[in-house]
Amino acid sequence: MSTRDEDPTPPGDGAARRRGDFTPPGGTTVGEGAPPEGWEAPRERWLSTVVRPAFGPRSVLLEVVARLLIPTILVFSVFLLVSGHDKPGGGFAGGLVASMAYVLRYVAGGRSELAAGVPMRPDALLAVGLLVACGTAVVPLLFGGTVLEAASVTVALPIFGEVKFASILMFETGVFLIVVGLVLSVVSALGARMEAEEAAAKAGSERTRGLDRQKGERR
Amino acid sequence: MLLPFLLALHAAVAALLVPLVRVLGSRAFVLASVPPATTAVWVLTHAPDIVAGRPVNTTITWVPTLGIDLEFRVDALTLAMVLLVSGVGAVIFGYCAKYFHSGERGLPRLAAILVLFSGAMLGVVSTDNLFALFVFWELTSITSFLLIGNDDRKEQARRAAVQALVTTAGFGLPMLIGFILLGQAGGTYRISELVASPPVDAPLVPVALVLVLVGAFAKSAQAPLHYWLPGAMIAPTPISAYLHAAAMVKGGVYLVARLAPGFAEVDPWRALILVVGLATMVIGGWRALRQDDLKLLLAYGTVSQLGFLTLIAGTGTQVAAIATIGVLLAHGLFKSALFLTVGVIDHQTGTRSIAALSGLGRRMPVLATAATVAAASMAGAPPLIGFVAKEAALEAFLPGTNADTTAGLPAGVAVAVLVGLVLASVLTVGYSARFAWGAFSTKTTVAERRVPRPAATFVAAPVALASLSLALGVMPFVADPVAQGYATAFAPAAKPYHLALWHGFTPALGISALVLAGGAALFHWRVLVARAQQAVPRGFDAERGYYAVVHAIYVVALRVTRALQSGSLPVYLGVILAMLLALPGARLVAALVSGDVALPGASEHEVRFWNTPLEVVVALLIMVTAVATVREHRRFPALILVSAMGFGIAGLFVLYGAPDLALTLVLVETLTTIILVFVLRRLPETFGTRPNGWPKRLTVLLCAATGTFIALALWLMAAARTDPPVSRGYAPLAPDAGGHNLVNMILADFRALDTFGEVVVLATAAVAVASLVLLNRRSRVVEAGPAPEDEDTPTTEDEAGPTPEDEDDTPAPGTPAEEEGQR
Repeated sequence: MSTRDEDPTPPGDGAARRRGDFTPPGGTTVGEGAPPEGWEAPRERWLSTVVRPAFGPRSVLLEVVARLLIPTILVFSVFLLVSGHDKPGGGFAGGLVASMAYVLRYVAGGRSELAAGVPMRPDALLAVGLLVACGTAVVPLLFGGTVLEAASVTVALPIFGEVKFASILMFETGVFLIVVGLVLSVVSALGARMEAEEAAAKAGSERTRGLDRQKGERR
Repeated sequence: MLLPFLLALHAAVAALLVPLVRVLGSRAFVLASVPPATTAVWVLTHAPDIVAGRPVNTTITWVPTLGIDLEFRVDALTLAMVLLVSGVGAVIFGYCAKYFHSGERGLPRLAAILVLFSGAMLGVVSTDNLFALFVFWELTSITSFLLIGNDDRKEQARRAAVQALVTTAGFGLPMLIGFILLGQAGGTYRISELVASPPVDAPLVPVALVLVLVGAFAKSAQAPLHYWLPGAMIAPTPISAYLHAAAMVKGGVYLVARLAPGFAEVDPWRALILVVGLATMVIGGWRALRQDDLKLLLAYGTVSQLGFLTLIAGTGTQVAAIATIGVLLAHGLFKSALFLTVGVIDHQTGTRSIAALSGLGRRMPVLATAATVAAASMAGAPPLIGFVAKEAALEAFLPGTNADTTAGLPAGVAVAVLVGLVLASVLTVGYSARFAWGAFSTKTTVAERRVPRPAATFVAAPVALASLSLALGVMPFVADPVAQGYATAFAPAAKPYHLALWHGFTPALGISALVLAGGAALFHWRVLVARAQQAVPRGFDAERGYYAVVHAIYVVALRVTRALQSGSLPVYLGVILAMLLALPGARLVAALVSGDVALPGASEHEVRFWNTPLEVVVALLIMVTAVATVREHRRFPALILVSAMGFGIAGLFVLYGAPDLALTLVLVETLTTIILVFVLRRLPETFGTRPNGWPKRLTVLLCAATGTFIALALWLMAAARTDPPVSRGYAPLAPDAGGHNLVNMILADFRALDTFGEVVVLATAAVAVASLVLLNRRSRVVEAGPAPEDEDTPTTEDEAGPTPEDEDDTPAPGTPAEEEGQR
């Protein structure tokens, strides 16, 4: 990867080669016969921040899809969480779906877009999730039950009809939050790393080049 | 019974102190002295009952099935210890209010931990259960670690703190084993019951006693484990005064004194105690004599005194027991007074070096008088409690005069101990005099500095403690009932002995005079003594021994890591698979050969090739992608193929009616593929080295064998069931738990504790991945360390095992493990 700044990627090459190619719209062209860089970029604003995609140039398709689908995906994830008692789903699956919404947002809009969409830091999500799960485990003790004892109440509500509240829903919510926190922390850690490396490469620091060259040699 | 409440009060005040110190500054230490002061007052109100032989008891059930309860029992020994821990503690906490400056870094933490320590120490001396004692014991180790390392920006402080923790907590573990052995041998974990009817004949009791004594020796800084105590002097002086004079180091002595009534007669208790105690006494005194730093002088003096205490506490005769209480109280009083004096000197002049101090006696006459009284008590000069206590200790080892006082101790041993005792006492007198002279005298060779006079309230604490030394010395009958109360546990001496200032012209008095004269001579010819000390080779240095051991552990750990952690993913995988084949695989083959496991009969488990033709399609997809993955030499297509294989397996789950599994697997596959793409961008396009020749053949062989083994084992296992599956009972239970989805009910209710453990692992892994990746970024140097591989399988994936890609956190990009890793 030592040559990622010097040699422009030939079109149609493997995806692994394309990662360093981000140039702002209207920048240099990438090769003979290829469309101009940034031709896919939308003119309208679809996402909430200055879009710097995680990799590759901006794409109208990605941004529109992200904008339209993310709310739906998030609602679906909550549906999976809630319906898990009786149908396929549950906290783990729901958490995976929810985190996929954020991954989509990251892919389309980059790191700052991801940060804009998440209510708190991944670590905080993990902490809240653990707290909720621990709380569900401990609360029954206060009522003379055993650890993690489950209880459910069925209530008749005016519009919704019979609604069941089960204590395991709280536990599942904890799992949900932890899964989201896990994926987000992995994504943001890897994203942070990549962004920092790209910034360093742009700055063209001598040290980084040396390291990159070593990396190339090892390869 | 107030004791548990008092312990809770310590904890509550500790929590309250953090914000209070922030707001009020060091004045909040006055509040810190409330819990110990309350405890001291409480125990004093019960003192008449306690010394009359009616201990205060209380029990809180904790883990009844294991015999672990919070049992508390305050008897005479505990009374003496509580007076030290809480009474002296309250005085020292008040002193802290003047010693520390408001707004010092880490002060809120220091105050809170100090009170916590006080509570833990109170627990150590008042609990009657071995396990509870161990818990409190380790709490004191941890809190003292935090207190010693309070100035965490100083490397020396951190190192001293770690050293103290490693020594005291490290040797606490053998002690725990000793406790368990004792408890098993005696059939109870109540200390009072164990001591009352000791299992002296049980074969393992000597081993248990040695293990317990090792823990006690480490805590009480006995040679050769004494090195941590001088190192711990890096802590602020009031902390040293409290931890290393009154409280923590007395923990070991307390334990010895607590067990001595029951176990002193068991070999090798007495031999160990006498040898180690005497050696510590002499070594500590010898090294104290040559210290220039006043605080270090006191530290080595403390080591010496702790040796003395251990010696008499473990001897196990009635007179020695009386002396133990006397010396415990005397040492707590004079040593904390002396430490607090050093604190005042340090605070006012900014130095503790004898070579730099001069003329302080004239500028601080009150402090000088108090400190001299305390030092005299340390030297054993009348009419102070130190003298009274030392008389008793000498009496305990005097052979001949009173045949029964040395009961159980051969005359020769008693004389040998007595000689050692006299020698160490002479050294003690020598360094006591050196302390008083070094701190307060006017030295012609040192320029005098003008220093501000300390505030009266600042000096009050050492003065009060020194006055107590004097008061108890003049009125030893105040302390005597406590000593008698403890000593009743031992076989009675022929002639009862009492703590008193004047016993008549006894041999002990003569020895005392001799000791004082010898010490005075030692001080008078101190230049010669110093020269003699220089001439003696230093020999074995215990601290160097500690570092040698620690270094050796590091070296071994590094070598083992280097040998085992090659950083090559194929090697790791190869080792894992080879082990799988070597142990369960070999066992399976052996079982098949010997006929333990029968091949499934044709009737029930006959081999069907498919249930529906769709399975053939899915299986073909899986097989084709698997083969293609292996043959693909570019990373990205290989990743896509692996994902396709995962989706194929999800398809199998669907066909077999497991929608939950399929859903989870599809989601995990998708997510891991996306995350792997992030990583792949940083990696070379193709796999680097591909095995060729023998490595390749070996790989193929290993993988084929593993695949065969797994398939065979699954087939046999499915047929080998003898009992009905556990899951049969789940279906009727599920509605009670609030749902109809069995998989989900298992995860969230029936096996919720497993799920809980798994999500904790997930959270830990997330934090670890993030910190490892970011750490790598910060250092910008790709080390040859192991990549952050997370082998955790998230909750529902246990069943989805066969996918090769279900670790969703791949190693950090750029690490060498990855270079040839994707195969």
